[in-house]
Amino acid sequence: MSVIDVDTAAPPKRHRARPSALMLIGAVVLGLLVIVAVLAPVLASNDPKAISGPALEQPSARHWLGTDIPGRDIFSKLVYGARASLVVALIGGSIAMTGAIVVGVAPALLGGFADSVSARLVVFLLALPGLPLLILIGSLAGNNRLALTLVIGFVGAAPNARILRSQTLSLRQRGFITAARGCGGGPLYVLRRHLVPGLGPLIVVGFVNWAGVAIGLEAGLAFLGLGDPTGVSWGLMLNRALSQPGIYYSPMWTWWVLPAGLGIALAVLGFTFVGVGLEPNFNPRWLRAS
Amino acid sequence: MSDALLEVEDLRVRFGGEVDAVRSVSFSLDAGESLAIVGESGSGKSTLALCLLGLIQPPEVSGSVRLNGQDLMGASNAVLRSLRWSTAAIALQGSPFNPVATVGSQVAEPLRDRTSLSRSQAHQRVAELAAEVALDPHLLDRYPHQLSGGERRRAALAMTLALDPQLVILDEPTAGLDPATRQDVVAAIQKLAAQRGFALIVISHDLPDAARLAQRAIVLYAGEAMEDGDSQLVMTEPAHPYSWALINAFPVMSTTKDLRPIRGVAPDPRAVPPGCPFHPRCTQAEAQCWETRPSMLASRGRRVFCHFGGLKELLSASGLSKTFRSGSSETRALDDVSISLREGQSVGIIGPSGSGKSTLARILTGHLAPDSGRVLLGGTELPASWRGGAAKAMRRRIQLVMQDPADALSPRLTVEALVREPLDLGDEIAPADRKRAVAEMLAAVGLPSSGSFLEAHTHELSGGQLQRVALARALVLRPKLLVADEPTAMLDASEQARLLVVLRERQVEMGLGLILVSHDMAVVRKMVDRIVVLDNGRVVEEGPSEQVSVVPTSATAARLVASAPAFMPRRAPSPPPGDVDERSR
Repeated sequence: MSVIDVDTAAPPKRHRARPSALMLIGAVVLGLLVIVAVLAPVLASNDPKAISGPALEQPSARHWLGTDIPGRDIFSKLVYGARASLVVALIGGSIAMTGAIVVGVAPALLGGFADSVSARLVVFLLALPGLPLLILIGSLAGNNRLALTLVIGFVGAAPNARILRSQTLSLRQRGFITAARGCGGGPLYVLRRHLVPGLGPLIVVGFVNWAGVAIGLEAGLAFLGLGDPTGVSWGLMLNRALSQPGIYYSPMWTWWVLPAGLGIALAVLGFTFVGVGLEPNFNPRWLRAS
Repeated sequence: MSDALLEVEDLRVRFGGEVDAVRSVSFSLDAGESLAIVGESGSGKSTLALCLLGLIQPPEVSGSVRLNGQDLMGASNAVLRSLRWSTAAIALQGSPFNPVATVGSQVAEPLRDRTSLSRSQAHQRVAELAAEVALDPHLLDRYPHQLSGGERRRAALAMTLALDPQLVILDEPTAGLDPATRQDVVAAIQKLAAQRGFALIVISHDLPDAARLAQRAIVLYAGEAMEDGDSQLVMTEPAHPYSWALINAFPVMSTTKDLRPIRGVAPDPRAVPPGCPFHPRCTQAEAQCWETRPSMLASRGRRVFCHFGGLKELLSASGLSKTFRSGSSETRALDDVSISLREGQSVGIIGPSGSGKSTLARILTGHLAPDSGRVLLGGTELPASWRGGAAKAMRRRIQLVMQDPADALSPRLTVEALVREPLDLGDEIAPADRKRAVAEMLAAVGLPSSGSFLEAHTHELSGGQLQRVALARALVLRPKLLVADEPTAMLDASEQARLLVVLRERQVEMGLGLILVSHDMAVVRKMVDRIVVLDNGRVVEEGPSEQVSVVPTSATAARLVASAPAFMPRRAPSPPPGDVDERSR
């Protein structure tokens, strides 16, 4: 029999995994992106929508990355494009995960009829091809960027719902849920104390990952010419740049195509890196005991 | 005026004005009856025996002892002398012989003293007595130290019977004898009692011998009778918590359950606790047990000195049935199963995979509703719904320990949070005291309660530690009933042994009722009083652990016994009569 040794003075320590290099890179990239987006009016030297000089000007002190066809400042468009991308990422990711919780977690918890209906709904949505659907809806929605963002979110609900649903079903049968019920824990307690912590990592990682996908999708749609032709986004910039015949025969692509493409790539990578880096923090098996 | 041979009423003995040796004992004995007075050393048995012959007199003694209607309290020496030997004779504990005289002359002493027999007649009579108690006649010429313990005991018996008394009192007739000799002495006494028809009072701490010698038994504790009834009934189904604990501490062949000590310490006769004298050691004691003295209540076919009529019934489930339907196929998982359990008792539910064991465990703990049948917890029906404060309180009294602790314990919580969770879900213990309650319970299951252990996550612990954390978590609410579903299936032998020892200890300390669900006969038989064998959802056999695990009657149980692990080949499960089977214990 061991001696009772109550150490009430010691504060509880949280062991956190050391952030990985990948996570740090992702966070730095996202941080820069956020700064650029927030400070866009300060950083931009010109109004991105206004014609501020002659068309197709080379980089200069006034236009750091030159101008596009009607003569708008490319650098300013790049800066404001970060804003557009982040908004799409946040809204798209949030809608995807909210939808996933509504059709994935809640019915799985309740069981019965609601569960079988939602399970079939998810399968139906998964069966629809994503990109053609987006193109279809995008062309119907015309130049409504918000509608497009919403659709991007909805498309993300189905795959995430499936992941959350299976996790909920497996958690629901775990012994510790039975044990918590057995000592008097009600459904809300179980949800708050055991299910949300169990699902939390999946929700956060799913959000971050879908945010990255949303940026890519929005850029793709804009590149295809769907969406608001007067808007400011990296996808639209690529669309315009690449519609210039023979852009690769002039040095123009280095200040028009490359920065916008890099922006998209960095934003998607940033979200992905953070998503991958976050995972160990939610999986207690990966925590290092000190 | 009753015609009882011996009537004892409210007998009390107090030595030196402060030591309570006997406190209010009453009983009566008819001619030819036999009574065993059993209890531990210091319970007042021998003092009581001395009072029965007027060997202790007022002012130490109060109450009355009537032998054939004659009150021995305060009787004159002449009266007492006329009664001793001839009406009532006692064989005191140990050897009653003077070492410097031959045994034969001492056996003849009552004859010479009280009868007018001639020397040769007395000699003849002593030889007859020796033959009656199966004592070799030539031993009569020897000195006491030249006789073996068993022979001396026989000689003392012969002396006691010399004047053909109506009442024979034997104080520890078998103490200090080897088992075979003890067996012979018991047989001799049984034979004599049957032939002569004397009334017999056996004072003994040897419960099985007492049960064999007497039809009726009184269990004495702190000078007070705790239980009074048919000796077989008292020994096989003790009702008083003390009798139960005493019998659990006694090594016998009739159970395979491991020995358990009695909780707490023996009472100090100078300061016997108020109320029920057993309450400090009793696991079911409530406020009234230390406030008011109980009285002898008729309960379960005997009389019990307990406010609750003895061990409380913890669980009574009857007629439980459950059918699982999947599409058009039906599986009868449980068919009319009944099970009941009293304070501190344990029942093993054993059966092959798919026999309905786990279904039963889930129904008993309220995680599954039966199709029919009732589960009564302490006399109240287990509510079907999880809702409501009463339902919650009920559920907290019965806890489940599952097979896989890694599954039963959330990987996200620390040890402290895990054990504390049940406390946080209720308000029995103030938040400030919960940390201490957690540490105490961890210590009780043999785990450290240091800061780093409390902060550990499940993946940092071994399987055995995890299962003990799960046990601590189940016990922290101080439930009365624990259902353990294959609790040791995932553990190696050493950790399994440790868990079983901890479980046993908790049963002793908390009066915990245990339902042990398993397919391992070797484990179950060490833990439980009774075994219920399930097959295809039905009870195919039920009985004491020793019976089911040694001489099973059902094919299912026989298969489980045959397949239970053993280091060497075992004999066939039906030993020849009289063969001692060392497999038990």
